[in-house]
Amino acid sequence: MTGRLKMTTQLVVLACVAGLLALLIWSVIHQQHAPHVGAKAPAFTLRNLDGAGKVSLASYRGKPVVLNFWASWCEPCKAEARVLERDWTSYRNRGVVFLGVDYHDLASDARRFVRAHALTFTMLQDGSGNVTGSYGISQVPETYVLNRQGRVIAHLAGPITDPSFAGEFRTALAKAVA
Amino acid sequence: MLRFAAVLVAALVLAAPAAAACTHPRTSLGYLEGQVMCPTCHTTLDQSDSAAAQRIELFISRKISACWTTKQIETALVANYGPAILAAPSHKGFDLLAWWLPIVGVLGGGLVLAFGVWRWSRRREPDDPEEPPGSGLDEETERRLDDLLARFD
Repeated sequence: MTGRLKMTTQLVVLACVAGLLALLIWSVIHQQHAPHVGAKAPAFTLRNLDGAGKVSLASYRGKPVVLNFWASWCEPCKAEARVLERDWTSYRNRGVVFLGVDYHDLASDARRFVRAHALTFTMLQDGSGNVTGSYGISQVPETYVLNRQGRVIAHLAGPITDPSFAGEFRTALAKAVA
Repeated sequence: MLRFAAVLVAALVLAAPAAAACTHPRTSLGYLEGQVMCPTCHTTLDQSDSAAAQRIELFISRKISACWTTKQIETALVANYGPAILAAPSHKGFDLLAWWLPIVGVLGGGLVLAFGVWRWSRRREPDDPEEPPGSGLDEETERRLDDLLARFD
């Protein structure tokens, strides 16, 4: 009886340790990293910020995409918004799609921000941050430039108004439309 | 006359919040700050000073002023940010585990402890058995001792 009890206890302890180990392995495997240059951009479907339906990244296959992650509470996003809108108006005729992904934000604040900066490109809401997480975003603003095949050409982990990113953004845009 | 008008306006301004009293007890920002997470820093709002947290606090304050209940505010936040915005997990589905596992753990721990104590007390029993009264010496030694004592008599 004592032997059986001892064995059961050992099995329970072993199962607990195995469970914790499995949890650790799962979390390591599912850790989200930013997609590297050349990698396929993670697919997503997000609702429009204006509430009019959903938009999926896959629907823009065949077009270069500029994916900008922002938030209304983000100070550098304000200056960047003007530049993005200017670039959007100059590149839209060349088939480039600009998508703004609002990150961890109140939809009402985000809509106010869009109105205040007169932004006309498509704005999507990622309130839960799931999509943002799949792109490894840890701060905003961040911008990805994707080619027609949906692969990453450039990842700019900061405002494109920053001199260190501005040149890279222009080069990536030129490469995307080429 | 002008002074009277000024006093009247001031009274109306001061009376406005009272007129907007809720029909239910008003929830507080302090309470909700402990119930809602900051989405960017993954702590509750009361432990965060981030811009995102401040926006949520402002949203909560406005809704409290508009007489929204705790439940209404939490529902609005979940609709915007998803269920992870709440510090406490929900009471349904997989989240139930978060509520039940600690209880099961405490009960299991209590059972293990009780069983351990019971086993320990059983092991201790043979140490103090009800031995018959005696000297504790074997018969041979006892006989020799009696002989020696008899010589002194």
